[in-house]
Amino acid sequence: MKALALEFYKTRGRKVWLVVFALIAVQLLWMLWSLRSMREQKLDTGWMYFLYEFPALNTLMMPVIAAVVASRLCDTEHQGRTLKLLKTVMPAGRLFGAKFLCGSIYMAAAAVFQVAMMLLGGSLKGFRGAVPVQKYLLYLLFTVSVSLTLLLFQQVLSLLAENQMIPLAVGLIGAFAGVFLMFLPKQLSYLLPWGYYMVLEGVSLEWNKAAGVVRYHYVPENWFGLAVLAAVFLVIYLTGRFLFIKKEV
Amino acid sequence: MMRTIRAEWLKLRRSPMWPVFLILPVLPAVMGTFNYLGNLGILRQQWYDLWSQHTIFSADFFLPAMIGAYCSYLWWLENRNHNWNSAMTAPVPVFCLYFSKLLFAGAAVAAAQAETGVLFLVSGKLAGVSGQVPPMLLRWLLLGTAAGVAVCAVQLFLSLVIRSFAVPVGIAFVGGIAGAIALSKGFGLWFPYSLMPMGMQSGNPSGNFTCGTGPFLLSCVSFLIVFSIASVLWLKKRDVRSE
Repeated sequence: MKALALEFYKTRGRKVWLVVFALIAVQLLWMLWSLRSMREQKLDTGWMYFLYEFPALNTLMMPVIAAVVASRLCDTEHQGRTLKLLKTVMPAGRLFGAKFLCGSIYMAAAAVFQVAMMLLGGSLKGFRGAVPVQKYLLYLLFTVSVSLTLLLFQQVLSLLAENQMIPLAVGLIGAFAGVFLMFLPKQLSYLLPWGYYMVLEGVSLEWNKAAGVVRYHYVPENWFGLAVLAAVFLVIYLTGRFLFIKKEV
Repeated sequence: MMRTIRAEWLKLRRSPMWPVFLILPVLPAVMGTFNYLGNLGILRQQWYDLWSQHTIFSADFFLPAMIGAYCSYLWWLENRNHNWNSAMTAPVPVFCLYFSKLLFAGAAVAAAQAETGVLFLVSGKLAGVSGQVPPMLLRWLLLGTAAGVAVCAVQLFLSLVIRSFAVPVGIAFVGGIAGAIALSKGFGLWFPYSLMPMGMQSGNPSGNFTCGTGPFLLSCVSFLIVFSIASVLWLKKRDVRSE
């Protein structure tokens, strides 16, 4: 608890919240843009449309945000050469955990803000039908799970590499790969952590080319995907923590 | 001037930067080609469609952020180990210091563009795309480079002022997305991050280059000059804080 409080104390002047707000602002712009061009008959499926559209948006943007947040939190130790000090006064594993918790709060907050924005936007636009609360809660859960896994991965890289170029490049390339996976068969998305926003997506789209109609429908929750993700998370956490503890500073 | 360039070269010779810039264009090329092959039913314009598959995401979203990361890295070298003190007291004008950094950032962009071009031709041949190679290819690449250099100037300024590694990269990424929107609204010329997809015509390769080459280059050069002057002035006027 003390370690976590210290993490927040270190970030007080680093404006990490600005990163989160910038993300939300861009997504808000995107949402307003897509809402403006929305036709009347699409209001019926509006709630589904959001659940279909936002995972793609997350695939594009969240990995970079995770990379930036992790780098902000970890780079401060490299800059100040404080790892030597910290590792003598506290167990390195606890530092690792505290940093991750601190970053998680930012990433989780980003997801919560996003869902709030979706709900608000949909209501104001007048989407018909009751809000599918359960679907949105599950969406929140899935989004947070993927974001935290990506954040964890970035944190490991940011702590191990002093040159922050490396984690940021990996984050960018990952986002890139995630975007391209969207166009490939869905099974391939299981292969990379950046593909899981799409793996866990709760709505799928059926495009009837002949009739020119687009239909959304809910797909059953992909608990298998979430389990795989959890396993990946665990592996990254344990190896990352181990490597960080063993790292010479 | 030559001495700062040589110094810069020494700093960068063994940096992990180069492999990153070499790997980056390969990804969109491989994936774009597969995507192209997977959608032959919809995509009928052969080389032109292959080009947009290759470049649409990289020019809009990822190249600006990569440039951002590179520019951050260039200043980060000075931020470490109190190096600002020695950098600023070196007997060279700050302009040279800045210019040599811009030169290397620009070189990285040009190299990435050249590689994109080569990969485009190779993957086109491998994928069995028939027809003539678009004669505009060279122009796309050159205009893309010009736009990339303008983005370099913007990012060098941001990284210089913000003194953080990650934040300018985030700005570049968000800027790229905003740039795509600005471009689709027709404000491309007025926004530095729109220039790359615009110059490379990643959205509509077969269409006309709507704004004309002259205004486009003028826009690139203006951004380049304005942000370069801003950076040099910042270097001159601000006291160095070498934590």
